[in-house]
Parts: sequence; structure tokens; C-alpha cells
Amino acid sequence: MERQAAPSSAPVSLGQEIAELWGEFLHCRIGPDDDFFTLGGNSLTGIKIIDRVAQDYGVQLSVRDFYLAQTPARVAELIEQGRAGA
Amino acid sequence: MRLTPGPGYDVDLDSVDLFDLDLYTSGDPHPIWDAMRAKAPLHHQVLPDGREFWSVTRYEDVCRVLGDHREFTSERGTVPTHLGTDDVAAGVLMTSTDPPRHTEVRRPLGAKLTARAVKSWEDSIRGTIQRFLEPALDGETFDLAERALLLPAMVTGPLLGIPEKDWEELVQLTAMVTAPSDPHFLQGSEAATLAISHHELVTYVKEWVTARRAAEGGDDSLLHHLMSVRPGGAPLSDEEIALDGYSILLGANVTTPHTVSGTVQALVERPEQFEKAQADPSLIPNLVEEGLRWSSAACNFMRYAVDDVHIGGGTIPARGAVVAWIGSANRDAAQFPDPHTFDITRSNAKRQVAFGFGPHFCIGAPLARMTLRVFFEELLQRFRSIEFAGEPQHLRSYFIAGMTHLPIVAQKRRTP
Repeated sequence: MERQAAPSSAPVSLGQEIAELWGEFLHCRIGPDDDFFTLGGNSLTGIKIIDRVAQDYGVQLSVRDFYLAQTPARVAELIEQGRAGA
Repeated sequence: MRLTPGPGYDVDLDSVDLFDLDLYTSGDPHPIWDAMRAKAPLHHQVLPDGREFWSVTRYEDVCRVLGDHREFTSERGTVPTHLGTDDVAAGVLMTSTDPPRHTEVRRPLGAKLTARAVKSWEDSIRGTIQRFLEPALDGETFDLAERALLLPAMVTGPLLGIPEKDWEELVQLTAMVTAPSDPHFLQGSEAATLAISHHELVTYVKEWVTARRAAEGGDDSLLHHLMSVRPGGAPLSDEEIALDGYSILLGANVTTPHTVSGTVQALVERPEQFEKAQADPSLIPNLVEEGLRWSSAACNFMRYAVDDVHIGGGTIPARGAVVAWIGSANRDAAQFPDPHTFDITRSNAKRQVAFGFGPHFCIGAPLARMTLRVFFEELLQRFRSIEFAGEPQHLRSYFIAGMTHLPIVAQKRRTP
């Protein structure tokens, strides 16, 4: 299922979307500023999340950038940057 | 960590912190392990965050913990970095799998790595080591520890099927796994460093496999062998191939360099041992065993008690984590008289447990032994003497005992 984010979507709501996506893999409720590693995230979940982001948003995140970002809000910024650069 | 212990100091075993990274970067763990073997052969520590673990330090107890999977399981993780978090790769990654599955997967791989099988690679390994040592022959400062990080990739890259352009990156990634908070390797936080390195290594193997499948051609490499084995009648899953490939890369890369540096350091500190080996090259295989014992690069492995288990004069409760300190077992006077003396003629050096013990005994041990033997044959034949050209710097890790820098200057031996 393709999820089409509206072009006007502000980073805030994108952050919320990413938080929900993480929740599917980490099996808990997540806010945009929660920390990936504190939530129990690891490389095996990271691989799945990065794949999904590529699929759903058409942005291939750098592995390093993803883990250094560490929160849904900052990953949302990376996606915005990725789209702007594309 | 210091391999030759400094002057003894009073150790308070109740307050000692075995996970204090400074202890390994700039401290001296051997006097602590000596005290543990003597006074607290089963030691218990609670970390500030409430996680707890038990430690065994005697040779006999270390072998028991590593050797008996019925009492001590590997399926909840085997490295203390992940203490308290059950291994997400349990039962898939070979090192986190107990027999019988472990035996099924290991057997076909081990067949490619027996002493007899690796013998055919000796000439090419000798050539690689000659190229490795070449820059040290011009009498300039040579940072052995830094350069040795690349040595296993140079040796095993062709056997694994990994192109030379990728070696440096893979070596950097495997070093990040072993010492995620060492300033040489840290990226952001320790957790981020670990995740980045795990992720990229696993992805590397996955992409390697995908490319090989697409090319449809087979080759003789170990990674390709992983794709073709059928343990228990079925091929490995892609996830198993990726994780075992990761594990093989890690095992190859992160220990051998430190054995090389630790053994060379011991020889430079003891010119009489250096001369002895040079005068009688038939001592080199035993020099290698003593170097393995002395440097114990894989400092420990962890297991979890399955049920309450009595060991070392105490009891580990069911589900408790136990760290088997290999570096300590290899300095147990009950097994090795004068354990802190480096002696290349030690009669039972071969009983060292630097490669572990039991079902998870290092699968690459025959290759490592041959590589180390060839390394010291070449070193002793080429260099008349070696001196230090600066202070060694130690790896910030409680899991791998090693060095990040060991500057040396070598004098060329006149051609006989």
C-alpha cells in the first residue's frame, strides 16, 4: 500500500507519521521526540524502518544519518532534506 | 589493557567495576583478576542501572561455562555489551545458537577451515605478510597496532571473497563493534556506533549475496560456501547467511591484530625471548601459543545460566548472566606456573583458551594459527631487532583486549 504524503505536510505531522511507523516495529506508542535506542531499537529494526521509509517516502536514508538522528522528528527532517535534494 | 601487570595494588573486590572502560584503556585488570581467582572465584557485580552479572575467572570454571551449553546457554547473547537485553539474533546467528542447531550449521563451515584445508593458502598468506612488513623495513616509525587492524582483511579477504576496495571500510565497521566508545571509532553515541556498524555489516553481506545470486556463478569463497551449505537438509535463510557472514567478518578482523601487537610488544620488552626465537625458528609455533595466551584478545564471553548452578564456590541463579574471563583463565597459576611470565618455551602454552572452549571454539583458529606462525617466521627472519618508538595506546573495550597504537622501529637483518 502506497502512502502519499501531501506536498504541504509540515515537518511536525511528518514527525508524527514517522513516530507511528516506528511504533509498528517497536511495538509501543511513540512520540516524535522519543529516542530510538531508549525505545529498544536496534540495527535489525533500523534495517526494516529504513526500508519502509524508502518504500513509502521514496527517500533512501543514510544509515549513519538515521542512527545519529535518533528521534522521529529528526528523521522527518532528513526525509524533508532528501525530498528537497531529489 | 596492560598485558604485563604493574606493581600489585590492594583490590577491593566488593567495589570493583569490571565494566569500567578506563580500567581497560589506561588501567591494569590483571591484579583484579588475580584477586578474584584467589578470593572470589565466583564474583557478583551490580551495575548502577541495576543490571547484574556473575564472573568466573579460574581456568577450570571458564572452561565449564564455555563448554556446557546445557548449563550455560548462548541463546540470550554472548557479549557483555548487550547484558540484560536478550539477543535479537538468537537461534539465527551461529554464536548465539546452542547445539544441536549450532552443530548442524557449524560442521559444514568448519570443514572448509580445518588445518589441512587452510594449508593450501599458506603461500599466498606468506606473500601478503611480506607485503605487510615491507614498509617497516626502511627503518621509519611503523605503527604496528594501527596497521595490523588491516592485516586480517588482507589475509582473509580473498578467502572470504571480499574485494580489496571494501577492506578498509569493513575493518572500520568491525572495529566499531568491538570498541564503540573508543574515540577512534565512536560515532555519536555508543548505541549509535553499534547500530551503524551492525547495520552496515549485515547489509554488506546481504548485498554481496544478492549480487552473487544475480551473477549465478559459484566460486570457492567462504561466503559463497555459506550460501550453498544445507545444514539439516535445508539451505540457510538469507538472514542466517547475513548474520553468520557478519560473524565471520567480525571474528576474522577484531582479534588477530591484537594478538600480533601483544606478542610483538612482549618480545620487544624481552630481548632474550626475541633472540631465542630468532636462533631457533622451530620454537615459533609455541611462541604463537604463548602469544595467544599472553594477549587473550577475546577477553571474555558471556552466557546465561539455564537453572540454578553451583560453580566457583557459589551459586548463579537461574537466568543469571555469567561472564567467563578468558584473559584471566589464561593467567591462572593452577594451569600455567608463573602465569605473568612470557615464556616462548612454556611447555603447556597450547592449553591456552584464547580461542574459547567447547562448541563455540573459534572456527577460524587453524587459519589464525597458521597466519600468526607465518607472521612471526617472516618477522624474525627480516628484522634483527625491534624497539618501541612511542607509548602504546590501548583499546577502549572490556570485550576485546587490544591496542590502537604501538609505534615501533625495526632494524633490518643482514641477509644471511
